[in-house]
Amino acid sequence: MKVFPIVILALVAGFVIRRRLDRRRGRPRFPFRWLGSSTAGRKPHGGTGPSGGRTLLGDTGLVAGREIRERVRSRMFRVVTAILVAVVAAAVVIPTIHGATSRQRVGVVAGSAALHAELLELARTVGVRVELVDEPDVPRARAALEAGHLDLVVESGKILLEAPLSSSDTSSGARYVRDLSASLGAQRAFARAGLTAEQAAIVARAGSLPIESLQPAKAPRTTSEATALLGVILVFVVLTQYLTWTLMGVMEEKASRVVEVLLATVRPIQLLAGKVIGIGAVALAQAAVLVAFALLLGEAVGSSLVSGTAPLVMAATLVWLVLGYAFYSWVYAAAGSLGERQDQIQSLALPLSVPLLIGYLVSLVGVSSGNPSLLVKVLAYLPPTAPFAMPTLVGFGDAAWWQFLLSAVASVACTVAVALVAARVYRAAVLRTGTRVRLRELLPGSAG
Amino acid sequence: MAGLLELDGLTRRFGAVAALDGLSFGVPAGEVVGFLGPNGAGKTTTMRAIFGLTDLDAGSVRWNGAAIGPAERRRFGYMPEERGLYPSMRVGEEIEYLGRLHGMTPGDAASAAESWLERLEVADRADSKVEALSHGNQQRVQLAAALVHDPELLVLDEPLAGLDPAGIDVIGQVLVEQAGAGRCVLFSSHQLDLVEDLCDSVAIIDHGRLVASGSVDELATEGARRLAVRVEGDRQGGWARGLPGVTVSQVQGGEVRLVLDEAVDSDAVLDAARRAGRVSQFVFERRRLSEVFREAVAR
Repeated sequence: MKVFPIVILALVAGFVIRRRLDRRRGRPRFPFRWLGSSTAGRKPHGGTGPSGGRTLLGDTGLVAGREIRERVRSRMFRVVTAILVAVVAAAVVIPTIHGATSRQRVGVVAGSAALHAELLELARTVGVRVELVDEPDVPRARAALEAGHLDLVVESGKILLEAPLSSSDTSSGARYVRDLSASLGAQRAFARAGLTAEQAAIVARAGSLPIESLQPAKAPRTTSEATALLGVILVFVVLTQYLTWTLMGVMEEKASRVVEVLLATVRPIQLLAGKVIGIGAVALAQAAVLVAFALLLGEAVGSSLVSGTAPLVMAATLVWLVLGYAFYSWVYAAAGSLGERQDQIQSLALPLSVPLLIGYLVSLVGVSSGNPSLLVKVLAYLPPTAPFAMPTLVGFGDAAWWQFLLSAVASVACTVAVALVAARVYRAAVLRTGTRVRLRELLPGSAG
Repeated sequence: MAGLLELDGLTRRFGAVAALDGLSFGVPAGEVVGFLGPNGAGKTTTMRAIFGLTDLDAGSVRWNGAAIGPAERRRFGYMPEERGLYPSMRVGEEIEYLGRLHGMTPGDAASAAESWLERLEVADRADSKVEALSHGNQQRVQLAAALVHDPELLVLDEPLAGLDPAGIDVIGQVLVEQAGAGRCVLFSSHQLDLVEDLCDSVAIIDHGRLVASGSVDELATEGARRLAVRVEGDRQGGWARGLPGVTVSQVQGGEVRLVLDEAVDSDAVLDAARRAGRVSQFVFERRRLSEVFREAVAR
C-alpha cells in the first residue's frame, strides 16, 4: 500500500515537469492532447475533411480536454486545492501533536524501583507518556501538584490529584489514573494477604482462560473510523464542489450561446459526456493528490490515520468518489441545461443536493457514534447515498467484498439509466433560451 | 434554383405559430446568397435547421443531393445570430479548439486560427480573453470561428449587424472571396444596401414561406418596366397621361416616373415625349433591393 502514494506523486510530478518543458518550448496551447490527439499525424491544411484530427475519445475527448485545461488553470481551482491541502495537513498532524503533549508528570514519594517499573509498564499499556519525578516528601509533592508542575502524585496508600476525576472523563490521562488506582490497590491487597513479591507478580499477571470454539475463529477486525470520517468529508467536499462546477459549466455554455456553435458540429451526448468526464477527471485527480498527500504526511508524522486498514478505506473512498460523481454529474449537468442565469443555480441545485446531504449527515452521525446504524447499512446500497455510507461501512470493517461489489454494480447500473434520461433532458433544453425550461415541458407530447 | 445546398419544403410549427411553412430554395456553390425577411419571418429557424439544431415537422435539407449528417456538418461553418464563444477563453485557443472540433489536426488548427485572426485584423488580440474584446472585434472572432476549418458552406446569421464601416468592409470582402473560391455562402441581414452590393442572389422569406428569390440583377429588372423621363416644357408629365398602358407613378422636380405595361413599346413612349418638348432624360430604372423586399413582403 505504501507504493500507492509514491506512484501518484510521481505521476503528478511528471505531469508538472512536462507542462513546464512544454511551456518553455513554446507549446503552451494544448495540454491533454492525448485525449484528443491526432493519430493521422499532421496533414496539410485545406479540404482534408473530417479525418484530419481523428482522436482517442473523439470529440468527447476534445471537449473533456478543454474542460480539464480550463479548470486546472482557473484561480478558483488553485485556491480550493491549497485550502484542501491545508485542511488535510491539519487533520493529519494536529491529532499527533495533541497526542504528543498528553504527557503525565507523575510525582512519586518514597518510590521503589518496582513501583517505577509498574508505573511505566501501565503507561505503555494505556498509551500515555509519563515522566516520573521523585519527590522527597508529601508536602513538597503536594506543593508541586498545586503549582501545576505535576499531574498526579503517588504516595504510600493513595493517589493525589489536583481536581476530582470526573466519571465521564475518558481521556487517556484519566484512564491511566483509574488503571493505576486499580493496579496499586490490588498489589496492596496481595501484600496484606501475605504473598511474596514473586507470588504477587504471578497473580498480577493472571490472564483469562482461553475460550475455544469448534468453528475456526475469524481474523480480528481492525477499524479505521477516523479515516472513514475524513473520507466521508472528502467525498462531500469534492462532490459538492465539482457537481456545482458541472452545473455552472453547462449553464455558462447555454448562457453564452456557445452551445449553438458547438452543437452545430458536435452531438449533444458528446458535449455532455466530455464535460462530465473532464470535470470528473479533475475532481478525481485533486482527491487522489489529497489522499496521497495525507498518506505520505501521515507516514511521516506517524499518524494512526494511515495505519492498519486505513489505506484500504482511503482506496474505497476514492472508488466511491468516482461512482458518486458519475451518478450525480449527469443529473447536475441536465439541471444546468434548464437555466441560464446565475440566480437560478441555487433553485436548480438545491433539490439535487438533498439525497447528497442525507447520505453525508447519516454517515457522519454513524461514524461519530462509533457504530454504523441500520440506516447507514441500508443507505450503503442506494446509489445516491452509497458514496458516503459504503466507505463508512468499510471503515468499520462491516462490509464484505461482495457487498461492496454489489453496491458498486447497483450504482453503475443506475448511473447508466440516469445518464440516458439526463442526455434526453439536456438535448431538449440546452438550445431553448429565454425563460427557464420546466421539466414537464420536455415530456413527450408537449408543444414546442 | 438548384444548388449544392437545397432546402426542400421545410416546415416547423411552434404551437399555433408556423415558423417555417413549406420553405424551399437552394444555395449554389460560388455565390453569396442574401437571406432576407422581416423579423420573425423564420430566417434563424431555417439556419438552425441546416445544422440540425431544430427539429423539422416536415421537409428536408440536402447537401449535394444527400441528407446531411455529422460528417457533412463538420465541413460547414456557422455564425449564429446570438454570438456564442466561451467568454473566459483566450481568442487564439478558442478558434483553435473549434477548428479541432471540426476535425482538424492540432497543427492545422493552430496555423489556421493564426491566419484567420490575421486576415480579420484581430491577430494582436489572440492572447486576450474573448470577454475583453469590443463588440466589433468579438464579431470578427466569431467569423474566424466559422471559417477556421475552411468550410464548404458558410451560414452566417446577421454577420454585419452592429459593425463599423471598417468591419463591414473586412467581413464583406471575406464573404466575396469565399464565394470566389467556390464555397456556398448564405447570410442574413437587414442592411439591404449592403446585401445588394455583396450578394449575387437573394432569397426573401415571410411567414416561413419564400416570397421572392433570384439573382440581384433579375430582381432589379423583373416585373413592370420603369422609366424616369424629363421633358423640358412639360414638367408635370401631362404628355404621358392618357398614353395606353402607361401609368404615371410619381412626379418630382420635373422628373416623371412611369410604369409600363408589358405590351407597351418604349419607343412609342419616347416619341410621345419628343412631341411634348426636348427630352433631357429617358432612363430605364432598376429597382432597389429595398423596393423588391418591400413589395415581396407586402403581398
